[in-house]
Amino acid sequence: MKDFFMNNSDLVIFMVLIVVGYVSGAIAEKRHYASIKKREQEMVELPVVTIRNVHSDSDVQESGLVMGSAVISIDYFKRFLAELRNLFGGRVRSYESLVDRARREAILRMKQEAQRKHADLIINFRLETSAIGKSANRKRHIGSVEALAYGTAVSLRNG
Amino acid sequence: MKFTAKLADGDVNISKGNPLKEAAWLVGGLITILALLYIGLGFVAGLVAMHLPVKAEVWIGRKISAGFQDRSNHYLQQHLDGLIGALPADSPLHAYTFRIFLDESEKVNAFALPGGSIVVFKGLLQTVGSENELDMVLAHELGHFAHRDHLQAMGRSLLVVVGSWLLPGDQSSDILPWIMGKLERRYSQKQEAAADSWGLDLLNRRYGHVGGATDFFKRLAGNGKTHLAYFLATHPHPEDRLHRLETLIRQNGYAVRETIPLKKGWIEKRAE
Repeated sequence: MKDFFMNNSDLVIFMVLIVVGYVSGAIAEKRHYASIKKREQEMVELPVVTIRNVHSDSDVQESGLVMGSAVISIDYFKRFLAELRNLFGGRVRSYESLVDRARREAILRMKQEAQRKHADLIINFRLETSAIGKSANRKRHIGSVEALAYGTAVSLRNG
Repeated sequence: MKFTAKLADGDVNISKGNPLKEAAWLVGGLITILALLYIGLGFVAGLVAMHLPVKAEVWIGRKISAGFQDRSNHYLQQHLDGLIGALPADSPLHAYTFRIFLDESEKVNAFALPGGSIVVFKGLLQTVGSENELDMVLAHELGHFAHRDHLQAMGRSLLVVVGSWLLPGDQSSDILPWIMGKLERRYSQKQEAAADSWGLDLLNRRYGHVGGATDFFKRLAGNGKTHLAYFLATHPHPEDRLHRLETLIRQNGYAVRETIPLKKGWIEKRAE
């Protein structure tokens, strides 16, 4: 048994990395989604809309830019799966959840910022996504996705 | 317009399904495709290897073995010539001019290069106990020439490289050559076994008996490595090689007589 590991160390190291990547990645993702869902529920009362103007300027007491950004990295297993997808084509499922998490986390952070400013709503909301480390499929390269959410936080006059 | 605070329903942006299952499907598909490709390419490479003229092989070999040219050894050359002399008159190996080179490293190994060059490591010479045992190793290498194994392996690896260029989306990946390498090793075990039996036959022609043929593998088998360790190795387990040789010796009724001990101190003697 020991000899098998010695002679096929590349295979063994690869399998270990895959398992580590899968387990740690799955745990991190599960936790993150639990946190995202909890906070989304908490901040559901703060509207985020894409319209550019509020109904009337006289309603606005204060306005300002709010931003939230999140960077989420791939793990070894996800990269392996995406590499295989590179050969066969099809939906890269393993990356879908990464982008989804990054977007939702970015929106949450933006909302958090708006709450800190006591804003009543966020208008002109925009979302950008960019890749960090575009050669992520290459060995020893790090790949992550960044989502940036921004908009105008608006506080309304009372009454 | 009234705003009603509400969360979006469901995770529409994430595909459902178990990633492990997806990985299993993709890996399985990849291995199947590669295996088919490998068999196909192997067939083509085999055809080319079988029909490549010796002249072309010598030309390739000269490029590869250039580094060894000054390491010839008179004593080893004599051994090799003795074996060549024992070849049947119609052997295709007579088209080659065989040369043997000694490498100073301590590895217990020997290998064949295209074009008729054999490289023997000093470690191997220090391990073998008799002239017959040494000749068995040399005959095994000659067996590789007879089956044109090195050309086949070269041809296949060349085709694998070309094949991995052609596959789309794989410029960055090295999974492909890696899996191919593993397949190659299983294949090469077969070649080693074939070279063993070919070598045994030549040893019998050279000495009239096959004494010492199994000594080398007995020595290797004594290192205590398990069979599992050899599953993906280039050579079969020495015990398996030993058993195969013993079976062959019984089947062909080869005689096993006394071996000729090696002359001491000759390794240092160099050819002028």
